[in-house]
Amino acid sequence: MNNKFDALKDDDSGDHDQEQGSPKDSEKEKTEDEDKDQNASKKKVSEDRLKCLQPSPAGSRVLDIILPCVQMVVPGAGEHPLQYNYTFWYSRRTPGRPASTQSYEQNIKQIGSFASVEQFWRFYSHMIRPGDLTGHSDFHLFKEGIKPMWEDDANKMGGKWIIRLRKGLASRCWENLILAMLGEQFMVGEEICGAVVSVRFQEDIISIWNKTASDQATTARIRDTLRRVLNLPPNTIMEYKTHTDSIKAWEDFHGLVNASGGR
Amino acid sequence: MSTDCEKTTAKAIPSTRTVTVNDAEHMPHDYSTTPGGTLFSTTPGGTRIIYDRRFLLECRRSPVAKTPPQGLPKIPGVTSPSSKDMSVKAHNRELLNHNNNITETDSINTAEDSQFEMDI
Repeated sequence: MNNKFDALKDDDSGDHDQEQGSPKDSEKEKTEDEDKDQNASKKKVSEDRLKCLQPSPAGSRVLDIILPCVQMVVPGAGEHPLQYNYTFWYSRRTPGRPASTQSYEQNIKQIGSFASVEQFWRFYSHMIRPGDLTGHSDFHLFKEGIKPMWEDDANKMGGKWIIRLRKGLASRCWENLILAMLGEQFMVGEEICGAVVSVRFQEDIISIWNKTASDQATTARIRDTLRRVLNLPPNTIMEYKTHTDSIKAWEDFHGLVNASGGR
Repeated sequence: MSTDCEKTTAKAIPSTRTVTVNDAEHMPHDYSTTPGGTLFSTTPGGTRIIYDRRFLLECRRSPVAKTPPQGLPKIPGVTSPSSKDMSVKAHNRELLNHNNNITETDSINTAEDSQFEMDI
């Protein structure tokens, strides 16, 4: 797996390197497509993607100790399992433009993974709300095993719906967005990859990523669900952007200043 | 839909019900409702684990959901292990009030003031 966050997406102002992730996880898509036993599917995906999976004590609450990318989290006794495990990430751009792959890696942190509704709230309740973040920051909530990068195998053929929000709306919209995602309200099968809230200077942006940008039925349904769950004003502009377009825009923007051998 | 009298044959109860939505009009307006009109949160094996917003918010009140996760990285200004509990209550109230036109929030509304205006 590509460990470098050299290509961490960054909504529209996108700091980004164009190096492609290694295409080794094609098996994952196959597994997900079968979708017969979702628990088995979920587990298989995590095994594929988290090479460092360790055996766990059966039924143990010890797994509530979350060591990102070390153990797969499971719902605790009596908790409400989610359809998928998810991982929270946080990124913040340091002042000045990141110049190296190390910058991207340093700028994104895994906050932790969860497998149940209750575990989600544990994290969420102990994280600042996006509207209270300062600076150029993002929260990412992606299915466990999918990195919030354009080049991740789950994302590379995908795209995202983008909604720009005036200041003051991000916290509520973000919460509604992720609750809808966790609760499987989008009804698009395996298509959802994750969601991002980006705090910027004059506006905030929320987006939801899906796997297949060319699947218009899926993107239309995601759009309609967004309208429904976010309770957006009718005149809110929603924009769909493919990740290949994002990559190209980034390259066009950074082409002259990328000294590290980009295309 | 035909009005003719039709004969039906016995079939096994399907474990998965597929509802095709071809038009946005067919999407339910209430987001605890699934396409086709069925209301369910969890279903017997085979279908997806679906939770509506209200249910998820109720789960927040359970004691286990309030415990800070072990291994939560300390990121200054981002993860705040102890100070958030105070604001959770206000936060919930604000959430429940934000959209008056969603009926599900009406029944669990506990406060009147709306924190957000939605006109952009």
